[in-house]
Amino acid sequence: MLWLERRVVASLSENLDHAQRESVAAFVEGCLRSMPELLRFGVAAESVVLGAAPWLRERLGRSEGPSIAARMARWERNPVGPIRQYPRLLSSLVLFATEELVPAGSK
Amino acid sequence: MILASEVLIVGSGAGGAVTAATLARAGRDVVIAEEGPWIDPDAIQPFSLDELAAKYRHRGLAAALGQPGIVYAEGRCVGGSTEINSGLYHRLPPDLADEWRATYAIDEFSPAVLDGYADRIEAELGVSMLPVASPPSSAVLADGAAKLGWRAVEFARVFRYDANGRGTKQTMARTMIPRAVADGARVVPDFRIDRLVTRDGRAVGAKGHRTDPDGHREPVTVTADHVIVCGGAIQTPALLQRSGIRANIGLGLKFHPTIKVAARFPSAFDHDDVPMHRVTEFSPYLTIGGSASRRGQVALALADSGVDYHDALADWENVVVYYAAIRGEGSGRVIAIPGLSAPLVSYRVTDADLSRLARGLVHLGELLLAAGATELYPSIVGGPVVRAPAQLVEWWDALSRSRANLMTVHLTSTVRMGEDRKLTGADSFGRVWGHGNLRVSDASLIPDAPGVNPQAAIMALASRNAEHFLATT
Repeated sequence: MLWLERRVVASLSENLDHAQRESVAAFVEGCLRSMPELLRFGVAAESVVLGAAPWLRERLGRSEGPSIAARMARWERNPVGPIRQYPRLLSSLVLFATEELVPAGSK
Repeated sequence: MILASEVLIVGSGAGGAVTAATLARAGRDVVIAEEGPWIDPDAIQPFSLDELAAKYRHRGLAAALGQPGIVYAEGRCVGGSTEINSGLYHRLPPDLADEWRATYAIDEFSPAVLDGYADRIEAELGVSMLPVASPPSSAVLADGAAKLGWRAVEFARVFRYDANGRGTKQTMARTMIPRAVADGARVVPDFRIDRLVTRDGRAVGAKGHRTDPDGHREPVTVTADHVIVCGGAIQTPALLQRSGIRANIGLGLKFHPTIKVAARFPSAFDHDDVPMHRVTEFSPYLTIGGSASRRGQVALALADSGVDYHDALADWENVVVYYAAIRGEGSGRVIAIPGLSAPLVSYRVTDADLSRLARGLVHLGELLLAAGATELYPSIVGGPVVRAPAQLVEWWDALSRSRANLMTVHLTSTVRMGEDRKLTGADSFGRVWGHGNLRVSDASLIPDAPGVNPQAAIMALASRNAEHFLATT
């Protein structure tokens, strides 16, 4: 997974315990690796473009600016389809893995 | 590694397995190349996350590009998509067979001919009705339809049932593949064919690679007198294109665009099986049915609505996923891209298709509310949650290209068959034009979306084509 993908998955699974988070992240990584190459290229390109600003901010040690969760909420309302679909794809993968891997009531 | 065979069959799903069993029974020397692994059908729980990882191509994450994009699923294991589907069995509607026979000039394609092959397949596999009362998640469809005065049918499945009503799906890995092996066929799993080798207009074999469990890749060459490609409507045209065969190959992809609704009921429902009832009131252009509804699938269907679903998810045992699927007028393409293993798949949904999907969604909502559902979450981002019939009209306006979440599983028509060479990629029996010993025998040959699960049609066609092969070679 690329930097932004790891951050998004971590943000979406932050209420899980460490082992559960690892399982969910492994599932998402396996899914992204298995995607058709063209789709994976598209998702990776979005990860690089959308992740550039938060990555730079983190490298510079600046803590201001929207959180990953806030950025995702903004991307979900973006008029550009592929940007809207980016958080939805990662959210769906995390949701499916969480519901299948984590016993009900332990989240 | 070099393998030699009389017949190389690429793919082991409904088309490949039936072809292999028929040819091996007749004493032909058959090698079956399957890209995916050979997995014990009892080893993995159906519709689970493990099944997704082990048996689905791309872990179910493939999509046809377009506006909207449409997610589709294919099997990638010995047995192909028969290992992952619901096992519902529908013969090809006779009026469609007649229509396609006339449009594409298909020889020996009358309903009577196809029924003859279907009779044999059904007897061999065991196609039967549930011998006990259908589960509540399925009966809901019949109940809602009865209240609205609509037709609903409980469909047979490719299942055998024991005295207690416990069913076993008769997948290809349980039936045709073992029969082919018993008659001498060789199955090579984890073996991807990269391209076919042709010489002077004839297929003489294939080149590919086999992947060991440790990830080590070994090149494999197969020599063969005949090659029959049975990889399904996406992989078959992609392989032919990678091999330099392109005339009318990969065009006209058809499937059933499908939209889902997560329905919440006042009490808990079963979640282990797929509903076997279908509402046929609007067939073949619109079919209403039920989907797998484990906790993960319920969560995804709820999330597709894009509204707050956490209360419903906490109550997931009361939630079941249903769908409306259409026979659309849109179509798509499959294009192999040099250097990439997966082809580019695209599909154009027409305005009429969107309208038909909206109508299907509203009909589905009417039915579920009549059957006692209390909340309906549509697969439309921001689509309103409906609790009463009067609210269903809001879904008409909500369904748009940018907000619809569509999926499909029944992919067909990328190497159409028939004697009209302008419209088809292969002749009436799957012989690829210009290559007498190269055949296709899978869903690619079916000229249009059938409006029902195509497995029965694929198996009948494969059986017919295999007998034609035996009679002519």
